[in-house]
Amino acid sequence: MKKWFAAGLLALAIGYTVYGLHTLTLVTSSGRPAAGFFPLLIGVLLIVSCTVNLWGDVREWLEEKRTGIVPVHQADPEAEAKADALGVDAHAIDGGPEFGRDVLIVFLYICGFVAIMNVVGAFLAMLAFMLVYLFTFNRAHPVSNAIYALALPASLYGLFKILLNASLPVGPLGL
Amino acid sequence: MLADIASNLSLGLSVAASPEGFLFLVIGAFLGMIVGLFPGFGPAAGIAVLIPMTFGLQPTIAIIMLAGIYYGSMYGGTITSILINTPGESATVASTIDGYPLAQKGRAGPALVMQAIASFFGGTIGVILITALAPSLANFAASFGPSEYFLIIAVGLLMLTTMMGDNKFKGFISALIGFAIGTIGVDVMSGQQRYTFGSPELIGGVYFVAVAIGLFGIGELLHCIFNGQHRQPAKRLRISFRDKEFWPSRNDYHESRWTFWRGSAIGFVAGVLPGSGATLGSIIGYSVEKKVAKDPEKFGKGEMRGLVAPEAANNAASAGAMVPLLSLGIPGSGATAVLLGAFLMWGLQPGPLLIVNDPEFVWGLIASMYLGNMILIAMSIFAIPLFVKFLDIPYVNVVPVIVLLCVIGAFAINASIVETWILVLSGLVGFAMKKYGYSPAATVLALVLGSMAEETFLQTYIISQGTMNLFWERPVSLVLSIVLLTVIVTPIALSILSRIKGGTSKMNKGTP
Repeated sequence: MKKWFAAGLLALAIGYTVYGLHTLTLVTSSGRPAAGFFPLLIGVLLIVSCTVNLWGDVREWLEEKRTGIVPVHQADPEAEAKADALGVDAHAIDGGPEFGRDVLIVFLYICGFVAIMNVVGAFLAMLAFMLVYLFTFNRAHPVSNAIYALALPASLYGLFKILLNASLPVGPLGL
Repeated sequence: MLADIASNLSLGLSVAASPEGFLFLVIGAFLGMIVGLFPGFGPAAGIAVLIPMTFGLQPTIAIIMLAGIYYGSMYGGTITSILINTPGESATVASTIDGYPLAQKGRAGPALVMQAIASFFGGTIGVILITALAPSLANFAASFGPSEYFLIIAVGLLMLTTMMGDNKFKGFISALIGFAIGTIGVDVMSGQQRYTFGSPELIGGVYFVAVAIGLFGIGELLHCIFNGQHRQPAKRLRISFRDKEFWPSRNDYHESRWTFWRGSAIGFVAGVLPGSGATLGSIIGYSVEKKVAKDPEKFGKGEMRGLVAPEAANNAASAGAMVPLLSLGIPGSGATAVLLGAFLMWGLQPGPLLIVNDPEFVWGLIASMYLGNMILIAMSIFAIPLFVKFLDIPYVNVVPVIVLLCVIGAFAINASIVETWILVLSGLVGFAMKKYGYSPAATVLALVLGSMAEETFLQTYIISQGTMNLFWERPVSLVLSIVLLTVIVTPIALSILSRIKGGTSKMNKGTP
C-alpha cells in the first residue's frame, strides 16, 4: 500500500501542476510573477520529490519481495526520530499487531455519520453513529452502550447548540 | 527594563487573573492533562479538536485556554510514561526510560511528584525567559524584511523535516502538500481564483482548522485503532497521595538540584529553535544528564535524575516554542502551528507588532503561563488519583468522543458540510501519512504559513527584480541562507562520506 500511496501523491502532484498551468496566469504583462507562479514552483518540486519518493518505495518493495522480509509496518516519523535519538527499534515504540479492517469500518461509519447529518440532523446522526459503533466494537455491554450512546450526543448537542450557540444541521425532529 | 517587564506583567495578570481568565485557564490546564494522558492523542490534536469549543469566548481568554491545553499536556503525558510505560505523547518518551523503572521499584509516587516539580521548574524558567526575550526578539525582528521571513519559514520547515530520521524526504513532501493546499482560494496579490473548481465554498481557501482536526484528530485516532488500542482493556491503577511512600526523599531533591537547571536551559533552547521542540529537547536533556553524571550506569534503571531532566526540558521547550510564535509569528511544531492558526482565526497577527499593538493579549498570555504552571503543579500532585482514574476508561469508549468532537466541531466553525468532508478526507490522509512515514505536522505548519511564504517569496522576487540577491545581501538573510544551506547540505555530505567510508572498508576487507 505504501507504494500506492506514493503513486497517488505523484498523480495528484501532476494533476495539481497541469491544472495550474491550464487555468492560472504565470507572469503578468509587466513581467511580474502572477497567481500561477508559486503553485507552479510547488507543483514542479512536488512532481520531482514524489517521483524520487515513489522510486524509493518501489525499490524497497522489490527488495522486500526478493528477500521475503516484510517490516511490521512503517513507524510514524515522530517515533522514528525518537527511536533514532534513543537508539532503540522504532517498531518497539510503534509496532505490534495491525487492525486495518477496524480502521476501514470506523472510517466508513464516520463517512455515514457525515452523510446523514444534513438529512436527519446532528443529534440523530450522532446517536446513530454511537449505536452502530458501540454495538460493533463493544457488544458485551448493551445497556451501558445504550446509555452512553444517548448521553454523549445529548451533552455535546447541549454544549454546542445551547451553550456555544453553534449552527448545527437540523433534522425532521427539529434537533 | 525591569520596570517595563513588571508593568507589562501586571497588565497581563489583570487579564489572566480575572475570574473569566482564571476559570478558562483551569479548564484548559485540566483538559491538557487529560489530552496528555491518552497515548496517540497529542497537544496538536487536543488544541485542534477543542478550538470550536472556544467560539463564544473573547480572543485572549480563548488563547489562554488553548495554551493551557498545550503546556498542560506536557504534565499529563508523563503520568502514563511512569505508570504504564506508555508515553501519553512524544515529548514524554524520554521520561519512560527512568520513570517506568522507578514505578517498578515501588517509587511511582516520588516519580510522579518529582516529574510535577521538574515540569513546574522547567515551565516557569521557560516563561521567565519568554518574559525577558520575547520583547527583545520582537524589537530585533521589527527590522526583518520579506527575505528574512521567507528564510525563517524555510529553515523552520527544513529543521522539522530533518528531525524525521530516515523519513526526511517524506517530511519535505508533507510540507509541499501543505503549501499546495494553501494555494487553494483567491490569490491575495492578483485576486485570481486558484483551484476552486467553481465552488463558492473554496473561494476563501481550505480552512486550516478542518485540515488540522482531520490530520491530527481523526488521523491519529485511526492510527491508534490500527495499532489495536481500542482492543486493549483499561489499565486499572490506584494511587493515593496520603501514602507515606508517595513523597520524594530528601536525597531525590538533593541529587536533582542541578538537573532542574540543566534540563530547563537545554529544553528552552531546543524550544526556541524552529522545528526541534519538546520531543528533541527532552531527549537531549536526558542524554546530557546521563553524560555529565558520575554514575551513568544508574540511568535506565530507575534514576530520578533521568526523569527530572527530560521533564524539566520538555516543559521549558514548550514555553520556549512560544518565543518565535509570539515575536516572529512563526511556529516551530505542529502544536504551535495549530495555535498560530487559532491566533489568525481570532484576528490576531503574531509577529513583531503583536506586542506593540495588542500588549494585553501577549502579556495576558504570558502571565497566564505563570499561573498555569502553578495550577498544573497543584493538579499534578493532588489530583493524580483523579487523573489515574481516567485510565480506567477503555479506549473503545474514547473513540466516539473524539469522532463526535471532530465532526461536530468542524461543522460548527462555518456551518459547512464541505469543510466537514474535508475533515473526513484529511483524517484518512493523516492516517496514511502516519502509517507510511510522512509528517502531518509539516503539512499543517506549511498550510498555516503557506500564504506568508508565498507573499514574502514573491515580494523578495519583485524587490530584487528577479535576481533573489536579497537572500544574501542583507546580513540576517545571509546568516539564514547559510543555515539553510547547512541544513540541506550536511545530511547529504554525511551520507556521501559514510558511503565512501563503507566502500573503502569493503575494499580493504577484500584486499588479501
